[in-house]
Amino acid sequence: MESRVSSSSETAHQTLQKSAPKSSPSSVNRLWRPAAQRNMKNQWSKLNSLRQEWASSSSAARSHATSLVNAYLSQRFMKDMELGVLSDMPDIQKKACWKLLKQQVVHRDNLLSSYKEMVGTVVNMVNTSMSLRCFLKGGINSPLIQFSNSSNDTNDNGDGGGMPVFIFWSISAFEKLASELVQMFKLELNLKRLLVIEFLSLRSKEDSIIEKLCWSDELYQGEFDDLSRCDLDCREASESASTKLDGFVSENIKQPNCQPDSDVLQIYLTAWLTDVNIDKKRVEDIFSEVGEEMHVNLVS
Amino acid sequence: MEATVKKYQQKFKKVKDDMDRWDDLHARLLSQFRNASSIIGRLQLLDDPKNYGFLKDIDNVKDLIFGKQMESLQMIMLSMNKTLEELNIIILSLAKTYRDAKQQLKGGSIQFSTKQLNYRIGVKPSIADCLEGLRLLHEMHQSEYLLKSSVISALAGLALNPSVNDLQAFERLLVDQPNIPKEEVQSVYDVIFAEEIC
Repeated sequence: MESRVSSSSETAHQTLQKSAPKSSPSSVNRLWRPAAQRNMKNQWSKLNSLRQEWASSSSAARSHATSLVNAYLSQRFMKDMELGVLSDMPDIQKKACWKLLKQQVVHRDNLLSSYKEMVGTVVNMVNTSMSLRCFLKGGINSPLIQFSNSSNDTNDNGDGGGMPVFIFWSISAFEKLASELVQMFKLELNLKRLLVIEFLSLRSKEDSIIEKLCWSDELYQGEFDDLSRCDLDCREASESASTKLDGFVSENIKQPNCQPDSDVLQIYLTAWLTDVNIDKKRVEDIFSEVGEEMHVNLVS
Repeated sequence: MEATVKKYQQKFKKVKDDMDRWDDLHARLLSQFRNASSIIGRLQLLDDPKNYGFLKDIDNVKDLIFGKQMESLQMIMLSMNKTLEELNIIILSLAKTYRDAKQQLKGGSIQFSTKQLNYRIGVKPSIADCLEGLRLLHEMHQSEYLLKSSVISALAGLALNPSVNDLQAFERLLVDQPNIPKEEVQSVYDVIFAEEIC
């Protein structure tokens, strides 16, 4: 809220300046700061809402994955189930299995679409974390002084010559924190992708509809484009892809074909829940530090 | 005397508010307990490297997941203790209501005889009914609070030595609130507000 108010007042300030005649370099420097501040506040509040987006799609995905696992396990153990009076009904097991299979298809679709949202969120995070700089638009001699967060001048590196944006920190200090933050989410996305592949590959021996997926399969149309935008490329041989995960050993991809049992699946779901690569406390610290520097409250 | 009874009925309305708050906190404590108990139930599973499937190839994954779960467990334990503290505030408030009621009787300008204390006008409760009701409600909640605190502290011990049966028994105990029988609470209110029922 606070950032909205201040940014609108700065917009007014900016339009006022637009009508001013030719500008000297010093006035450019003077005007750079409010523009950079506005941009910085906007991008960080965007990062803040993106992390909430991540949390909600991640928990939605987890509940889809849980339903999927439950339907899968029920189907698998259907044969051994005591059906009591129901066993007199013709084909009851077959019908139940068929129904559970159909449910799994629904849950798989849901899981996949939540995963897709998560990828989208991380892509947005990466883009946002790289838009913290503030560039002069149209060159020094243009009659209007305008700023943007994309560069079209190679001489301008958008950091205002390293001067503090608010109180102490330069642009690159902000960038460092943003990239530390985004890195955690990227690693976690990588792990979640492995888990998604495991969940989507669940199938009982009888049905051949579901194919075993592997790391280098594209899970949805356009996934690889999205992933390459966050430097996670899966098209390469599985070995090199997996090394991108911290401390990941490559052989894991060549998995035996056996299906994981319920204990393992429960661990997978727990692993999903715990967000191992995201240090929650550090994330909170980053947002509160940045918020303090910008005089905006990002942590509620 | 009627005025005194009326004042006491007001107190029962206040106690009702306290009990409503108690119910909210009870529900909160229960959901916190369930979260904690599902983590504790998982700990043994998490302890066995065989259960990690493809994850076992990631360095430290067991420690990471285990550590994160312990962290969440700790957080939940802390918030359960906070909930207990809030429950204790309700106990204090119930105790105060009862104490005030007794004080008023002793310190008031009119001294009632035992006969007067037990005197009922129509369906209205006697002063003794009111006092006994307030005492009973406080006592029930007090004992339930003690039960809840001991369940929660025993839960911490279970984390070291998980047993599914114990977890389930604890949960039943929390859900049931054996020290606060609903019918008894209702019958106290039926006596105090008999005129409103008629």
